[in-house]
Amino acid sequence: MAKNHSAANRGPFNAVISANKQIGQRFYRLSLGFESAGAKAFAKLKPGQFAQLDLADTPLPPSKDIPEDLVDAARRKILLRRPFSFSDVINKDRKTLVDILYRVVGPATLRMTTLSAGDSVNIIGPLGNGFWVPRGKKQALLVTGGMGAGPLLHLAKVLTADHHGIEAIAFAGAKTEKELPFEGQLDEISQELGFSLAEFARYGVESLVATDDGSAGFAGPVTDCFSEWLGRAGLAGKDMIIYSCGPEQMLAKVAEIAEKRNIDCQLSMERMMACGIGICQSCAVECKVNGSSETVYKMCCEDGPVFDAKEIVFSS
Amino acid sequence: MEEAVDISVDFAGIRLANPVFTASGTCGYADELADFTDVNALGGFITKSITLKPKKGNATPRIVETDSGMLNAIGWANIGLDKFIEEKLPIIEKMSAAVFVNVAGESIDEYAAVAEHLAGEAAIAGFELNISCPNVAKGGITFGTDAVQVTEITSAVKKAAGEKILMVKLSPNVTDISVIARAAVEAGADALSLVNTFTAMVIDIETGKPVLANKTGGLSGPAIKPIAVYLVNKVYNEVAKNRGIPILGSGGIRTASDAVEFIIAGATAVAVGTANFIEPGCAAKIVEGIKKYCVRKKITNIKELTGSLGIG
Ligand SMILES: Cc1cc2nc3c(=O)[nH]c(=O)nc-3n(C[C@H](O)[C@H](O)[C@H](O)COP(=O)(O)OP(=O)(O)OC[C@H]3O[C@@H](n4cnc5c(N)ncnc54)[C@H](O)[C@@H]3O)c2cc1C
Ligand SMILES: Cc1cc2nc3c(=O)[nH]c(=O)nc-3n(C[C@H](O)[C@H](O)[C@H](O)COP(=O)(O)O)c2cc1C
Ligand code: FES
Repeated sequence: MAKNHSAANRGPFNAVISANKQIGQRFYRLSLGFESAGAKAFAKLKPGQFAQLDLADTPLPPSKDIPEDLVDAARRKILLRRPFSFSDVINKDRKTLVDILYRVVGPATLRMTTLSAGDSVNIIGPLGNGFWVPRGKKQALLVTGGMGAGPLLHLAKVLTADHHGIEAIAFAGAKTEKELPFEGQLDEISQELGFSLAEFARYGVESLVATDDGSAGFAGPVTDCFSEWLGRAGLAGKDMIIYSCGPEQMLAKVAEIAEKRNIDCQLSMERMMACGIGICQSCAVECKVNGSSETVYKMCCEDGPVFDAKEIVFSS
Repeated sequence: MEEAVDISVDFAGIRLANPVFTASGTCGYADELADFTDVNALGGFITKSITLKPKKGNATPRIVETDSGMLNAIGWANIGLDKFIEEKLPIIEKMSAAVFVNVAGESIDEYAAVAEHLAGEAAIAGFELNISCPNVAKGGITFGTDAVQVTEITSAVKKAAGEKILMVKLSPNVTDISVIARAAVEAGADALSLVNTFTAMVIDIETGKPVLANKTGGLSGPAIKPIAVYLVNKVYNEVAKNRGIPILGSGGIRTASDAVEFIIAGATAVAVGTANFIEPGCAAKIVEGIKKYCVRKKITNIKELTGSLGIG
């Protein structure tokens, strides 16, 4: 268990914002660049790893730009860092550029929207384990819900670049079309060929879209869309692997599907985090102990955020 | 030329290189913060609460942020005494800070047993007795809010602790903190640590339920600082000063200015808690900041500052 004290430098680093683009009603993509030690540390960022951003000194948007449902929350003076995972990493000229896809939900993410090119933000990371790729898999199935798309976009890129034997297919879900955190849908021909989302298509990864209200793609939960697809799938369970990130209820459903079909499955979990570095014990995830009815708490920030689906005890 | 400043302090008979500690539960068991900061820059270090057997802790959510603060209800999740001795003590032996083991339990016997097992360890300077945790069903605060029980538990652990320094960590969740402080000192406490967190609650107005699985949690962070400063000053004046008992002050410290405030109020040393989560290097920065303050104020020995509160 002596997993602390890694030689890896995890900061804190200062990153400089290069862009902060609004890509939907409440969705943004923040692009940040690291130099020197920070660049070195983030160059090897694995999909699913995350970082803790200090946004306490970042100003709020002007009150006219604060959505009505967040007016009260915006008043809160924030204290703790906030955890975010990454949707892309690019290494260029000794610099490392990373992207964060985020959704505005409260005081910290509201503040995040005011960051603009040239501003800097203090970051601790990379943190956590990230997704891993077991040997012998032929197909990787990426199931995302809402903001969970970020790390799976990064994973799609890495699978395409480094794991040629594996075909990746994405299943992206959201409540409505407006809440899909992607830029630009593809034309109809591409869609008929199965490439619904440009951001997955650029890695040659097929994607299926599902919305709860049927405003785009499959009408219903993404897990239903995924389940139906699996029913038609040609490969045996052992040749496939499921990667999923999104709301916990969705992850529980994905875990159930994986178990039923005997498919390996990795889930990226979220918990409220104070430190993000394994010290405060706030981010406990209840896990089964092999071969017993007992459970233990593992730390989402340090033992995760990616867990083997078989381990996790979901609260019903 | 800059005057030499002595910020080393005498804390219940031991010499600390400086008056800055990291607080229990916010810095791990040993050198977990070493990746982020020089842990040897600290004067003192307090481990996460250790119980006789490992503890799983409470269900989640265990924390929630509040205005300039946070609530926690971790519930003493810890690796237990045996694993602490096996895995963490060898690391502690190499640390230059004075290390205090925070001791917790459900019964007086459990507290005493943990202290007794560790009393012979040269690497440990002393114990911090956690009788002020608001987040467990048994033990913790139930011992710390009743003067009779404080007397009983302090004298039992004092016996078990042998030559080691016994520091008692006080809860602010009492009518008169000085009554409890006096009971601890009269039962043998060598030092007092205050304050632990304030019992508090956050309600989710959509569900109408408390946010924390434990329903209540302990409030920490900048939000509690002025109350903590007041309580340190009160205990200093009413209990500690005349008896020569050092106080370890804590509650919302994030900067050197915060630390100096506690010292002026009567603290011999200070502990940094919640701030470690946001800025893991802040305790080391506070050490430097205290030195600068002393130079600016022409203070040659930090002793001059302790309890120097001017009145009138
Ligand atoms: C490992 C990890 C990776 C994440 N990656 C992303 C990402 O790529 N994009 C994205 O938009 N969001 C991500 N999140 C969630 C993000 O951290 C929260 O949305 C953010 O902290 C909200 O802060 P706020 O002040 O705006 O809202 P708050 O008012 O603080 O919270 C709004 C809601 O967000 C959730 N939340 C708040 N704080 C945390 C926290 N510290 N940890 C987990 N959930 C929290 C809670 O459910 C809360 O009800 C991730 C969380 C974790 C744990
Ligand atoms: C997440 C968390 C865990 C804590 N765990 C412990 C603990 O195990 N034992 C203890 O005596 N105090 C514990 N504390 C209390 C702190 O040591 C400290 O007394 C308190 O938080 C006030 O200081 P602060 O405002 O600087 O954090 C904990 C505090 C926090 C925030
Ligand atoms: S967030 Fe502190 S231990 Fe995970």
